[in-house]
Amino acid sequence: MAEGIIFLIMLAVFVFTAFAFNLPIGVCMMIASIAGALCDGQGIPLRHMFEGSFGYLSTILVIASAMLFMKTIQKSGLLETVARFIIDKFHNVKVLLLAGITLLIMFPGMITGSSTACVLTTGTLVVPVLMYFGVPKHKTGAIIAMAALYGMLAPPVNLPAMIIGAGIDMPYVGFFKPLLFATVPIAIITSWILGLPHMLKKKKEGQGELDKSALPASYFKQYGIKIILPFVVLVVLMTLPSIFKGKFPDLGMPLVMLISAAVAMVTGKEFNVLEAVREAVRDSVPVMSILMGVGMFIQIMTLTGVRGFIVVNSLSLPQSWLLVAMAVSIPLFGAVSAFGSASVLGVPFLLTLSGSGNAIILTTGITLLVSLGDLVPPTALAGIFAAQVIDEPNYFKVLKYCIFPALLTIAAGLLIVAYSNPLSKWLL
Amino acid sequence: MKVSYRITAVLVLAVSAFVVLYTGSSYKSMYKDDVIVPGPSVKEVKMLSDYFEGLKDTAGDTEVYVLEGEEPGGTLLFLGGTHPNEPAGFMTAVLFIENAVVEKGRIIIIPQADKSGFTANDPQEASPQRFSFTTAGGNRRTFRYGARATNPLDQWPDPDIYVNPSNQTLSGSETRNLNRCYPGRPDGTLTEKIAYGIMEVIRKENALVSIDLHEASPEYPVINAMVAHEKSIDLASIAVLELELEGIKIRLEKSPPTFYGLSHRSWGDYSDTWPILMETANPSQGRLRSKTNEALVLTGKDPWYVKAQKLGKLYVPFDENGHPIEERVGRHSSSVQAIIRAMEYFFEPEQMITVSNVPGFDELMANGFGNYLNEPAK
Repeated sequence: MAEGIIFLIMLAVFVFTAFAFNLPIGVCMMIASIAGALCDGQGIPLRHMFEGSFGYLSTILVIASAMLFMKTIQKSGLLETVARFIIDKFHNVKVLLLAGITLLIMFPGMITGSSTACVLTTGTLVVPVLMYFGVPKHKTGAIIAMAALYGMLAPPVNLPAMIIGAGIDMPYVGFFKPLLFATVPIAIITSWILGLPHMLKKKKEGQGELDKSALPASYFKQYGIKIILPFVVLVVLMTLPSIFKGKFPDLGMPLVMLISAAVAMVTGKEFNVLEAVREAVRDSVPVMSILMGVGMFIQIMTLTGVRGFIVVNSLSLPQSWLLVAMAVSIPLFGAVSAFGSASVLGVPFLLTLSGSGNAIILTTGITLLVSLGDLVPPTALAGIFAAQVIDEPNYFKVLKYCIFPALLTIAAGLLIVAYSNPLSKWLL
Repeated sequence: MKVSYRITAVLVLAVSAFVVLYTGSSYKSMYKDDVIVPGPSVKEVKMLSDYFEGLKDTAGDTEVYVLEGEEPGGTLLFLGGTHPNEPAGFMTAVLFIENAVVEKGRIIIIPQADKSGFTANDPQEASPQRFSFTTAGGNRRTFRYGARATNPLDQWPDPDIYVNPSNQTLSGSETRNLNRCYPGRPDGTLTEKIAYGIMEVIRKENALVSIDLHEASPEYPVINAMVAHEKSIDLASIAVLELELEGIKIRLEKSPPTFYGLSHRSWGDYSDTWPILMETANPSQGRLRSKTNEALVLTGKDPWYVKAQKLGKLYVPFDENGHPIEERVGRHSSSVQAIIRAMEYFFEPEQMITVSNVPGFDELMANGFGNYLNEPAK
């Protein structure tokens, strides 16, 4: 059967099982994968389905451990204490406050290259602050999701750029300035667009003054400096391997999260550890199952030739449509995996464009498009977790407010790609 | 009404157990070694751990075949299987081990440089686990198609970012990529230890020239090419000219001076050897490929690559005839032999190597690869 028809059948089965039977997304992806394999005469290729799901093993471990970290800092009182501190200190300088909050959300991604790390650590910390200053719940989620995407791209660690570089044997050298230029300004502007009008409106309406009764509690007096130890441990363990390259062991994100979570269990309010672990696993299992389903889906797409079909057809558009093809296909393929999109589409597009531009700047622009994959359902890692930290079961309500910033990001990415030569003279 | 999920739970557990056992046996079968039937010039089969003790009893230990002539001469080393998903390198090594008659000097061959990588496949790449040939005597010879890098069961987890022994920053998954780990570390990860072991072979055996055989996807710019360190660029130039006269077009690229960790750079920087890396076009590892299966590995025929070629997206010609394994092994085989012949322009007569009975490009294309495999022992 032709690859295009197999792809359509896989999509149709996915949509049908999701809407007609209301099955979990991960299960729908698995059934769609089986349908694709059957159409191609492969039977039910258990080996391939099992193998595909292992592509996300590391991500799954990060998610589970980060979720536990989030639960423990919530329950230990660290979250409320930090939020209270920020509100007390910066409630009069909202423009700077929002820029600072954005950089704070971005920080874990800059170190680890993961948007999930941003949302579930510093993202969690700033939720009560943003909401206290009048930013509506869903826009708070959108600010966190977008800042997490930019954090994942910001230097020093940009994994999509490394993945694309590995595909064309380009060392990850010389990216710092271009990535800083491509991420920090747009991240701050996005947060201002989403949050500042609400914060200023609240101030104008005279509600900007501190209402002590509505503030989150601070446990600083009760537990002293030790209450923030989990966050200090997290930052130290994440940062030291980058500072002392090769000298300090990189423990890996899951272990760093677990160690920090363990610290949170003894440095603040007492809580039931078993309950926290149970909640963390319960909250992360649906996302983990989506990732495993997506892993199966992509392996069957590769097995049956559907992946090649998508890539070649994206590349076959006329040169004048190439930028449009990139703007659409790279984020959309991120529905399967943002990193997968960097490898599968990012590399061929870069090779197509590299004759006419600077490879480092082109890669920088392409990674802006790649990052948006983390907003595209069903994986939509940044969207799903941003909804989770604001306690919103329907993540589409967060994604709705990410549409405009996403379009802005696409425009920025395409401009960087289109003007890579002049930018290279300035940034390299 | 109280709903019991016990039956569902038992069913799910039973299905899970079946899937784990079924797939587990499939993955375990990848640990069965490939059979190589040594030819007339194989004087010794050593292990990499004979050169670096730190690899003993690890998944990184691998066979080192020493092919030696009656007359003393120079030494050439070549590697297949640095990336086990690039089968032409491995098969060229097998071709030499099973056929070559070395009259003078020595050829040292490591056919499965990253042996751990032969025990797994890359998730989401849907690679076949094996590919087979029929020998002249009608027997089947089967070889593994592995992963690009070391099996994560042998080295895990990957860091977020990898700082290789030359202090180059790379994405975390490259920590298991042998061709990013040179010159290796004796106390490093398994892959870094393998890299260190290979450096020890180069140093202890005084390899004058060392060759690393690879394949690349057809959309990759460095393809049907040799990449040479500045030490070996003239040697490679002579070989490329000779191959051109034989009708085999090979591009010559100079090893980028800052691309540390790769064989064509670090072998030359950290030893006296003259390093060369070779690439052929393998659609079964490309991003644009159609159905992924054994036929693609062997025939190299792929309709999407034909379309991509027409669109001007490839760095290698690609038509309906594809790039069969015979062509890819033939290019490597002829290139290695051309390098050996070109050594006479750069080394002393007593350092020469003479080898015969290895089929080149034309013979492989005419007779097929299976015809040059020895019959397996009963």
